[in-house]
Amino acid sequence: MQINKDYFNAIDIKGLDALLDDTSSFTKVGPKEDEDRDKVKKIKTNCRACIQNCGVIAHVKNGRVIKLEGNPEDPMSKGRMCAKGLAGIQALYHPNRLKYPMKRVGERGENKWKRISWDEAIDIIAKKLMETYEDYGAEYVFCSTGGGGNPEIWSIARFCNIFGTPNWFEPGCAQCYLPRVLAYTMMYGGDDPSIADSNALEIYFPDETPMKTLVLWGTAPSYSCPATGGGAVQDLRSKGVKTVVVDPRFTPDAAKSDVWLPIRPGTDVALMLAWIRYILHEKLYDEEFVMKWTNLPYLVNVETKMFVRAKESDDPDVPDTFMVWDTKTNSMQPLEYPWNDELAPALEGSFTVDGVEYKTGFQLLKERVEEYTIEKAAEICRLDPDKIVEAIELFAKNTPSGLAIGVATDQTPNSVQAAMGAATLDLLMGNVERPGALLQRFRKSGTFDMPNYPVPIAADRLPPEQLKKRLGGTEFKGLGIWYAGHPTSILDAVLTGEPYKPRVWIERSGNKLGNVANSQKWEKALKELDFIVHMYMYPTSFSAYADILLPTKEWLETDMMVEVCNKLFARQGVTHLWETIDETVIWSMIARRCGELGHEACRKAFDSEYMGKDLAYWDSVDEIFDHFLSRIDLTWDKLKEITPYEYMPKEDWKTYYVYKQIDPKTGKPAGFPTPSKKCEIYLESMITLGRTGRPFSPIDLPPASKDYEPLPYYLEPHEDPVNDKELTKEFPLTMTGGRIPLFHHNTLRNVPWLRELYPVPEIWINPRDAEKYGVADGDWVWVESKRGKIRALAWVTEGIKPETVYMERFWNPETLDTETHGWKEMNVNVLTKEDAPFNDVVGTYTLRAFQVKVYKAEGPPEGIWTKPEDFRKWLPQPSDPTEEVLSKK
Amino acid sequence: MKQYCLVIDLDRCIGCMACTVACKLENDVPLGSNRMVVKQVGPTGTYPDLEMYFLPAVCQQCEKPTCAEVCPTGACYKNSEDGVIYIDDQICIGCRSCQKACPYEVNDVKKQQNVMDKCNLCAGLREIGEKPACVKNCPGSALIFGDINDPESEVSIALKKAGEDNVYSLQDFGNAPVTRYILRNAKWQDILPQDIEKVQGRKDGLK
Repeated sequence: MQINKDYFNAIDIKGLDALLDDTSSFTKVGPKEDEDRDKVKKIKTNCRACIQNCGVIAHVKNGRVIKLEGNPEDPMSKGRMCAKGLAGIQALYHPNRLKYPMKRVGERGENKWKRISWDEAIDIIAKKLMETYEDYGAEYVFCSTGGGGNPEIWSIARFCNIFGTPNWFEPGCAQCYLPRVLAYTMMYGGDDPSIADSNALEIYFPDETPMKTLVLWGTAPSYSCPATGGGAVQDLRSKGVKTVVVDPRFTPDAAKSDVWLPIRPGTDVALMLAWIRYILHEKLYDEEFVMKWTNLPYLVNVETKMFVRAKESDDPDVPDTFMVWDTKTNSMQPLEYPWNDELAPALEGSFTVDGVEYKTGFQLLKERVEEYTIEKAAEICRLDPDKIVEAIELFAKNTPSGLAIGVATDQTPNSVQAAMGAATLDLLMGNVERPGALLQRFRKSGTFDMPNYPVPIAADRLPPEQLKKRLGGTEFKGLGIWYAGHPTSILDAVLTGEPYKPRVWIERSGNKLGNVANSQKWEKALKELDFIVHMYMYPTSFSAYADILLPTKEWLETDMMVEVCNKLFARQGVTHLWETIDETVIWSMIARRCGELGHEACRKAFDSEYMGKDLAYWDSVDEIFDHFLSRIDLTWDKLKEITPYEYMPKEDWKTYYVYKQIDPKTGKPAGFPTPSKKCEIYLESMITLGRTGRPFSPIDLPPASKDYEPLPYYLEPHEDPVNDKELTKEFPLTMTGGRIPLFHHNTLRNVPWLRELYPVPEIWINPRDAEKYGVADGDWVWVESKRGKIRALAWVTEGIKPETVYMERFWNPETLDTETHGWKEMNVNVLTKEDAPFNDVVGTYTLRAFQVKVYKAEGPPEGIWTKPEDFRKWLPQPSDPTEEVLSKK
Repeated sequence: MKQYCLVIDLDRCIGCMACTVACKLENDVPLGSNRMVVKQVGPTGTYPDLEMYFLPAVCQQCEKPTCAEVCPTGACYKNSEDGVIYIDDQICIGCRSCQKACPYEVNDVKKQQNVMDKCNLCAGLREIGEKPACVKNCPGSALIFGDINDPESEVSIALKKAGEDNVYSLQDFGNAPVTRYILRNAKWQDILPQDIEKVQGRKDGLK
């Protein structure tokens, strides 16, 4: 077949390839500039289907993305890509993308919309914000993010700080990651060992690491991040590293482990305390490290719970001088940092001087864990005691070892204590900054001031009197590390008007009604609000309740600096669809209009001299990236061209024993970035945090209702299946949660390739429970808690702990336009618990370890899709406009 | 003679299903059809003493392929140059004889075009010197591709390293499957991929 290509050039039909399938065999004639037209461009970018940022090579033809594959230059994903990322094309070209700004024309919930211009949308939003600001105050506006899907969380916090509201939240934060960030930051000052959050970087070098044992505690990298952590952990197992998995689910990682501890959900801290006790009693800890590099030998005043200081230091490079009990002289002596060979400090013991009782941190830790024998933990956690010992001995004897703690423990009110317990275990073993350890301070490029995203948060712009109005901010001061508010406190404020009634919600997430606890209570709150904006890539259940919808870019359309080990990557937009805008720019657009309408701080936020290190607001993200990249003599354009850029040789980047390096300012070892420069296993600064908000709050806040604890403690799940017999009678099964490898948070339930693999959420139930409650494999069942009920498909399997059930989070985009708006059918957060008890430090509510009952249902919920063909309606259409952004470069 | 195939290290397969989606993307496999699916084998045993592994089920590139034997039009054939079994969709009449003849049920139908579809180890990618999409993207690096008749190939080296005792094939009905599975850390369940739900007690309900 001979076709004259000039003809097609002349008529310039978009989507021609789709019609003719393949034009590569056509005779190449025509003007030179058109020669590239049908060429496939391979562009290096980075995925954002979850938060792993895997290196990707996107194949783009005539502006349209036609293929994705892994980029082998990525030191973490090493050319691998998972189902979520590979399905990115279907997310990008989803026919139900939000394409234009939309304004509600029907009643809320009716899902009737009218297309409007960006100018009009921003104007409506800014006017409503200004009206609220002037009539009530900035704190009456709240913003939120989370739920997966290309988020860039700092823009939300930045906007709030500049606008003057202290109220932004993520359903994550206290429920996801923040407890671990907080504990590890305060206890040793380096990166936490969360594999799913792209830390624990030691695991990515299987040929180099001397690691011998890896504990996966409440984490399943095979599920959460197959292409990075999942593959890396497999590399370690294949070279003989032993693994322990703590998880009520028999996950792929559990199946491949040497010891599986199927723990009762919510009891993790009891098990940790038993591990600590065993390690202390059997003297398996690293005595040299504990003595010289932790604060456990320091003396604590038993009454005040604070360390005794010989000298307080004004110099930030020099820590206070603490007291130890010198066994040579049998007296209290100052121990000047870092160590004094003249002294022989006691590690344990109680001492009385002048009628005041002192104990070492070690002694207090030992007393704290004393009741948690192996037998007691076995009883609480319902585990085999021999297996517990086997696991501890692997961790403590087959070293170097490391403990990677996952999100599971962040989802119960014992969250911060679990993170503290996990950190304590690694620190006692000296598993920090040595080869083979997960706790590391490998070097960084220096182009990020904030974690993961470069957007400056402008925290100091929030007036102190506004900061004091943060909902939940006084009680849960740990949220201050991310400058965040407390979801339930905001919810309750909307519903009760106490202490004030927020009125406007600007929301950016993958479906708030799918990712906040006790969703039906939030639905009530939605009805109380004056004005709601939702910005996302596609409509979710939440959108139905909004007044304005704003279309944001999918990851294949966005730009972002990405740091992966010793390399900087550019996630770069490889196409652009419809009228979508990067959310990092949308917040700037809203701030600009607020400034024009008379908001002084928003107006000044565009003045670069005034904003200084916080940067002036921008017209495009290039401005932000250029600013930070200039620190290493790069520009954003240049990085896009050369991505990935190795900013440092691997050998220099992978620095061990940072704490031993001599600080030129003091001539002493640099130590750890903590107040004492030692690992703070006795976390005195937790007490200070609760009383003042320091070091995260720039001002002193009123004290929390009770002191935060400097040592981890165990809190039995509130819906207690052991002691609460009445509750257990009606709701006998304990629910846990967790990921599968096809979705990230609430995203991707609208992607055909993924939904055909997992059309509906399964509930895993053990055969003996299934029999007891009359449920057979493949049955549709009701799952009911005190708060609500939903349906799921039963999978009867030995791979779940008896008396425990597991269910994936879910929502159904196919029923968005019905009365349920897709969130009432099979959304496990209809069942979860949003109210007290909360974690004392950060306010975590209960997403796991609550009680449910399971019983047979007649059939599936109405209108849900289950067959592969059903999802055809969501396939990309060849007629999609797709902008050639690459040729503009 | 060359015999390209996959060797699959099941100890390394983490069950993430990336191969299924990589294959769909590369080969335009329609909804409802698959060239490669990941079967979960287990958990077998009784809580808490359990075993489980994952079995990517895909064309076994048999030496004596029954699918090619029964094909009435010659659309389904084993290529003598690379040992790979292809379906020429220009000739295929969609009669599904090959689907019924395959003991592993890995040939699938493209309903809209009414032609059969199966794994050809990404012929298009191999032409330009690349590995199949499933192999390239495999998060666990469980999928290995190469010429099993070449002792220096990656597949031959992997098999040698694994040792005969740890190498398995799907049941042979005289068709001589070529694909090999390596498994050291769990007990091999000698069961056909399509029957695996019976092992784990999971109904094939929805799919």
